[in-house]
Amino acid sequence: MKQAYLGIDVGSISTKGVIIDDDNKILSSAYIWTEGDPIGASKRLLSLLEKQFDKKNYRIVATGTTGSARKLVGTIVGATMVKNEITAHAVGTTTFYPEVRTILEIGGQDSKIILVENGVAVDYAMNTLCAAGTGAFLSSQAKRLGIEVEEIGEYAARSEHPTQIAARCTVFAESDLVHKLQMGHPREDVIAGVCNAVVANYLNNVGKGKKILSPVVFQGGVSKNSGVVAAFEKALGCKVTVDENGHLMGALGAAILARKGKGRRPFDFAVEDTEFHVREAGCGRCPNNCEIICVYSGDKLIDAWGNRCERGAVH
Amino acid sequence: MPLKLERIKEGQRVIHGAFPRYAEYNCAMKYMAEHGFHNVKFVMPPPLTKRTEEIGARYSPDYVCTPFKTLLGSLIEALEAGADTLVMVHGYCRLGYYGELMEQILRDQGYEFDFINLSEYDTWKKRDWLKVIRRIDPKLNIPKFVQAARETIRMMEHLDEVTSDYYQICGFDATGGEVRRAYRRFLAALYTADSGEDIEGAYKRVKQDFQTIPLNKPDRPLQVGILGEFYTVMDAFSNLHLEQKLADMGVEVHRWMNMTHHLLHYGEVKNLAPKIRDQCEYTMGPTSTANIWYAKACAEHGYDGLIHVKSANCTPEIDIMPVLQNISADYKIPTLYLTYDSQTSDVGLMTRLEAFYDMIETRKRALS
Repeated sequence: MKQAYLGIDVGSISTKGVIIDDDNKILSSAYIWTEGDPIGASKRLLSLLEKQFDKKNYRIVATGTTGSARKLVGTIVGATMVKNEITAHAVGTTTFYPEVRTILEIGGQDSKIILVENGVAVDYAMNTLCAAGTGAFLSSQAKRLGIEVEEIGEYAARSEHPTQIAARCTVFAESDLVHKLQMGHPREDVIAGVCNAVVANYLNNVGKGKKILSPVVFQGGVSKNSGVVAAFEKALGCKVTVDENGHLMGALGAAILARKGKGRRPFDFAVEDTEFHVREAGCGRCPNNCEIICVYSGDKLIDAWGNRCERGAVH
Repeated sequence: MPLKLERIKEGQRVIHGAFPRYAEYNCAMKYMAEHGFHNVKFVMPPPLTKRTEEIGARYSPDYVCTPFKTLLGSLIEALEAGADTLVMVHGYCRLGYYGELMEQILRDQGYEFDFINLSEYDTWKKRDWLKVIRRIDPKLNIPKFVQAARETIRMMEHLDEVTSDYYQICGFDATGGEVRRAYRRFLAALYTADSGEDIEGAYKRVKQDFQTIPLNKPDRPLQVGILGEFYTVMDAFSNLHLEQKLADMGVEVHRWMNMTHHLLHYGEVKNLAPKIRDQCEYTMGPTSTANIWYAKACAEHGYDGLIHVKSANCTPEIDIMPVLQNISADYKIPTLYLTYDSQTSDVGLMTRLEAFYDMIETRKRALS
C-alpha cells in the first residue's frame, strides 16, 4: 500500500483538487466551479477524484486545503494542513519549477505576485483594495460579448489594433469597454484591449515596485487565457511559462505541504455522503456583533470561528 | 469613574470633557484632565467597535481616511456618553483640518457641545498652550497642573515601554496567557490610576511580571518591524490587531512609532533626516522621515521583515512607499504593505500575514 496525499483549493470561482504520491506525481485531479457553495463543490470534487483514484494500491494519509474557503473545507475533510493560497502557490510552483524567479497568479478574485530566489519566496504582494475580481471580470465580459470565456484568447489573437481600455478598477474598464463597443470598435480589438488592460492593471497595482525577473511562471484560472498570456509576454518582454497544471498549482501546493507536514490522518471519501451545514450567529455581547460561523456535521457542532474575543467563543 | 466632587465648588460649571479613543492613550488623557484641572470630569468614550466605525463612516465624506471616520465615531459615542466638551488633536497632514470639519459635521447633526480644536493653537509655543489651558480652567492651580502633566508624561512613557515589551514577548509565553493577563492588569491599573504612586506601582508590577513569567523564546526569533501612519499603526482596533496576530504566530514584533518616541522625545532623535540622506532628500509628511529612518534601522539590524501600515488614501505614507521599496531591495528585507479602510476584512489580513510569516520563516531557514 503506497501513500498518497490530497490537496484541495477552494477558490471563489473554482474548486480544484489533486491526489499525489510521494514523488509529486498526480494520481487524480479535478477542476469544477464553486458556484457559491464551497461545501457542495468540495463534495462533488471528491467524488470526481475518487473515480480516478486507485484505492487498491494507494491510501490517502494527509490532506491539505487552501483557497479562500480553506478553513471551512479543512474542517469538513479533516485536513492536516490548512494553508493560505500564497504559500501553497509558491510551494507548488517552486517544486515543479525550481528555477522560477517570478510567479504571476491571477485568480477569480485575487491577484498575487511572488518573487523567488534560489527556490525560496523572498517577496510577495497581493491586491488589497483594488485589482480584485479579474477572473470574474473576464467571465462577465465574455458573456456580455456573447462568447465563451475560453474563447477570449482566440479572439484576442485575431486583433491587429487592440483598443485602449481604461485599466484601473474593473468598474472603469467595463464602462470604457461598453463605450468602445458602442463607438464601433470591432469585438476582436476590444477583447485584445481587455487583455492588455488586465495586464496593465496587474503590473501597476500588484506588481508595483517589484522587479520581475525571468523565468516567469503564470498561473491561476486566468493563465488559461492565451490572450492575457500574450499580453504579459508583450509587456514584460520575456517568455511567460504556463504549466498545463497551472490551474491546479494551489491544490498541488496544498498536497505537497500536507506531505511535508507532520500531521497524518487517513482520509475517508465517506465525507461525500455526510450532511454538513453552516449556521451564522451574531454574538451580540458587544457592539462589534461578531458573526460567528458554526459548522455542523449532522447535528454535531464540529467547529466555530469568527469571534474577536473570548466572549464569543463557542467551545 | 471617580468624580471628585470635593474639588468642585458649589455652582461652578463642571466640564465633561472627552477625547476620541486613540489606542490606549485615553488613560493618560483622563489622568491629565482630572488631575491637572479642578473643574473637569473626563468622559471615557467606549472602546472602539464596528459600531464606532459605522456611525463615523455614515457622517464622513466617503473618501476621507479611516482614522477620520473612527475618530468621528468615537466623538459621537463620547457625546452619547454625556460629554459636553470635545478635544480634537492637531496634525501635520490633513489631520490638521479634521477638527474643524468634525465640529461642523457634529453641529449639523444637532449636537451641542464645546469644541477645543488644538489646531487653532498649533504654533507649539508655550503661550498658545497656556491659552488652551486657561480656556478650560481660568483658575488653574499651576503647580498642580505641572505635577499632573509630569505624571501623565510618565504614564505615557510607561505605557509605550510596556506595550513595546509586551509585543516582543507575548508570542513566546510558556504559560498560555500569563503575559497577556499581566499586560491587561497593567492597562486596567492605568485606566483607574489616581496618583503618581498608582502609575509607578502598576509599572513596577508589570515589569516584574514580564521578567518572571517563563518564556519559550529562541535565541534568534523572527523579528518584524512595524511602521506606518500615526493612527492606524498604533491603534489595535484600526489595524485589526495586527501586532497581536503576528505575535501569536511566534514573532517578536517591534514598533518604534508611538507617542513617547514621536511626540514626547522626538527631539532626542533629532537629525533623522541626515541619516536617511542616501534614501531620500526631502520631508514628505508628518511621519515620513521617522518611518524611513526606522525601516532602514530595522534592515540594518537584520530584522526578518517589515510591515508598512496605512489607511487608504493616506498621502504622506503613499509617498514613502517607493523609498521603502528601495530599502527593501537594497537590504533584501521582505516588506508587506497593508492598506486599511473601513471595509478591510480580518480574513484577508490573516491570509496576507500567514503568507508573510511563511515567507520570512522559510527564507530565514534557507539563509541560515
